[in-house]
Amino acid sequence: MTGKKKMLQALKAKGVKYIFGYTGGAIMPIFDEMDKLGDFRFVMSRHEQGAAFMAQGISRASLSTSTPQIGVCMATSGPGAMNLTTGIADAYMDSVPVIAVTGQVATGVIATDAFQESDVVGVMMPICKQTYMPLAAEEVEATVHEAFYVAATGRSGPVLIDIPKDVQDQQLPEDYHFDANNFHPDLPGFFFHPSPEREVMQKAITLINRSQRPVMFCGHGVINSNAGKMLQKFAEKVNIPIAFTFHGLSAVPADHPLSLGMMGMHGTVEANRAIMEADLLISFGMRFDDRVTGKLNEYAQNADVIHVEIDPSEINKNVPTSVAINADVYRTLHVLLGDPMLTFKPRKRWFEKINSYRLLMAEDLQQEIEGSVGDGGKLLMKSIVHQLSELTKGKDLIVPDVGQHQMMAARFYNYQTENSWFASGGAGTMGASLPLAIGVKLARPTERVWSISGDGGFQMNIQELGTIMEQQVDVKILILNNGYLGMVRQWQTLFYDGRYAGTPMQSPDFGSIAQGYGIPYLKIETPEEIVPALQKAIDHQGAIILEFICDPSEVILPMIPAGGGFEDMIIKRPSPTPEEPSATTEQNGEES
Amino acid sequence: MIRRAILTFMLDRPGVLNKVSMLIRKKMYNVDTLTVCSSRVPGISRMTITLREDDEAKVEQIIKQLEKFTEVISAKELDTDHSYWREVAIIQLEVDAAHLESFHGRYNFEVLEKKNEDAYILQVAGSTRQIDSFLDEIGREYIIEIARTGVTAMEK
Ligand SMILES: Cc1ncc(C[n+]2csc(CCOP(=O)(O)OP(=O)(O)O)c2C)c(N)n1
Ligand SMILES: [Mg+2]
Repeated sequence: MTGKKKMLQALKAKGVKYIFGYTGGAIMPIFDEMDKLGDFRFVMSRHEQGAAFMAQGISRASLSTSTPQIGVCMATSGPGAMNLTTGIADAYMDSVPVIAVTGQVATGVIATDAFQESDVVGVMMPICKQTYMPLAAEEVEATVHEAFYVAATGRSGPVLIDIPKDVQDQQLPEDYHFDANNFHPDLPGFFFHPSPEREVMQKAITLINRSQRPVMFCGHGVINSNAGKMLQKFAEKVNIPIAFTFHGLSAVPADHPLSLGMMGMHGTVEANRAIMEADLLISFGMRFDDRVTGKLNEYAQNADVIHVEIDPSEINKNVPTSVAINADVYRTLHVLLGDPMLTFKPRKRWFEKINSYRLLMAEDLQQEIEGSVGDGGKLLMKSIVHQLSELTKGKDLIVPDVGQHQMMAARFYNYQTENSWFASGGAGTMGASLPLAIGVKLARPTERVWSISGDGGFQMNIQELGTIMEQQVDVKILILNNGYLGMVRQWQTLFYDGRYAGTPMQSPDFGSIAQGYGIPYLKIETPEEIVPALQKAIDHQGAIILEFICDPSEVILPMIPAGGGFEDMIIKRPSPTPEEPSATTEQNGEES
Repeated sequence: MIRRAILTFMLDRPGVLNKVSMLIRKKMYNVDTLTVCSSRVPGISRMTITLREDDEAKVEQIIKQLEKFTEVISAKELDTDHSYWREVAIIQLEVDAAHLESFHGRYNFEVLEKKNEDAYILQVAGSTRQIDSFLDEIGREYIIEIARTGVTAMEK
């Protein structure tokens, strides 16, 4: 029995079905063994970054199914491992459990700058929840079990196992013994509080009952603890509107009467205004990042804050809390729902006010969506997303990339299926969509998956079309081509006097590319073609690429400028040729 | 700025020290000293970090971030009233015997070596302030070399 065999046995014992990766010298023994054992479906990505995102896709999409799995990606030492980093850093930012296994040079030559040696543990440490390097075959199995435990316990995150080549091949000692069923990692300081404490709950309930203008926040923690239905029940029980973080989307149907839609930089007017005027924020599983709060010292100044969060280091980090509930969202909601003291209030005035905010942009948006084209006659992204939503009744799985189209997808798809929105948020990694969508589809094979990319991001992992071709993954691919790095262009329009530095972009003939990969392709240029093309994608069995020619001057509004407060929210489109710099705000060196 | 001490116990595993120093860099804490030693329990080390920080929330944040490491068993702030903070300094300096004699009884020091008539290697132990005042009084300009351990601390 060898280290490599133990590694694979342990992965199997942990319910792993797919391994995403790319081979090379230092990982060959494990790949060889994997082939011999035949226990896994191996998916070769065309770049290791792709493998990391596919693994994320499995973890994220399967968590709400009856068979949750943790995604595993594998790469060789040096360049292979370095290519994983972007996808791993992304998983870290978005709290996604992923196991990365990398081959390392043999123990005898570690730290000699051997061929393809990189200090992978050193590089991964700040972007992983934990890193391991087993130095003997008998450590391997326990390491894998501990890695899975750490990755998925409490706030999830990626974990690296860097395994030297000689350890992979090493024989286990005769007296080796490991009991996987009774294994508990020896981590005396690593605990988390799944259940809320009684006293803080009482305080929370008092605040909730007293509040005139409460807003509830639905964050990623609601998705991760499968608590969407519970949150909805709670909201209905106490009659409190729900604002969603970017990662909280799809936890509750988007058109629920209590839904305010997304909050933050590109959030809805009603969500952001309501937060501004709230006297109580009840936040479930989120971390008050700067895209959500804007300028901190102006944020929700009159509100008490109840913060339910599994990671204690997030509590009081950015926003001071009145009541801190360090616990799992699902369990907290469970306790809240069972409490007889909670009262329903009509909150007539509060909802009237919120409804008036809902109307502020509604008409403009409705007009744009119905018109479907911008001033130059090219398609509007919001209209495409809206029509996709109508056609699929909001039930499909949506995997956007990063940019304007992503925010359009966040805002204008009417999410009905719990856990149906998979996006790179904290890191905002362009190129995530295509490989992420592959993982999502493999985890939820009976549901329809749409990968929606911009022309920029699509070309960042375009090579994964090869994976789609080889594995015959049925992903519907939409390219919203506006000829620009649109989101940055929007910032240039608003804050850089319309100088488009480094954002116009020439694209290849996507039709020829599609043809090269044997994937059907359609180009859509007029509003009339949108629905028939989408319908074609639905009817087609297998992957298909639809390229939409979009208006580069479309902007996603409202927008709270980076570093600005909610008062600075821009809700009107700037005139096409601004004589004056149209909007100004403090620039604090933030990136889009 | 207020000087703080954080006492933390952690598993003696590879990379833990690295993680702590990365945390300090990432969060840009103003660390004065950091000492690590083994504890009473095999496999568990104790670390004392002293830093300057006025903002309570920031101190709370570093403690929470430390506790988040899977290897860290506990982390807490020690306040000066309820704990002992001590360090040791080894000093090589020029001083004559008579002057040195005047420090006896007032400071806790020991002559490790007399190099010649007016050069000594001394060991001084005590609180940071005691050591600082010893150095001030004896004259910092006469110091040839100095090594300080940094603070280690224990609750009363
Ligand atoms: C890897 C990476 N590089 C750069 C950025 C900065 N960035 C954010 S959005 C964006 C533009 C995206 O353009 P495109 O993919 O065409 O989408 P659009 O905004 O036009 O819809 C850029 C460059 C990023 N988020 N990720
Ligand atoms: Mg674009």
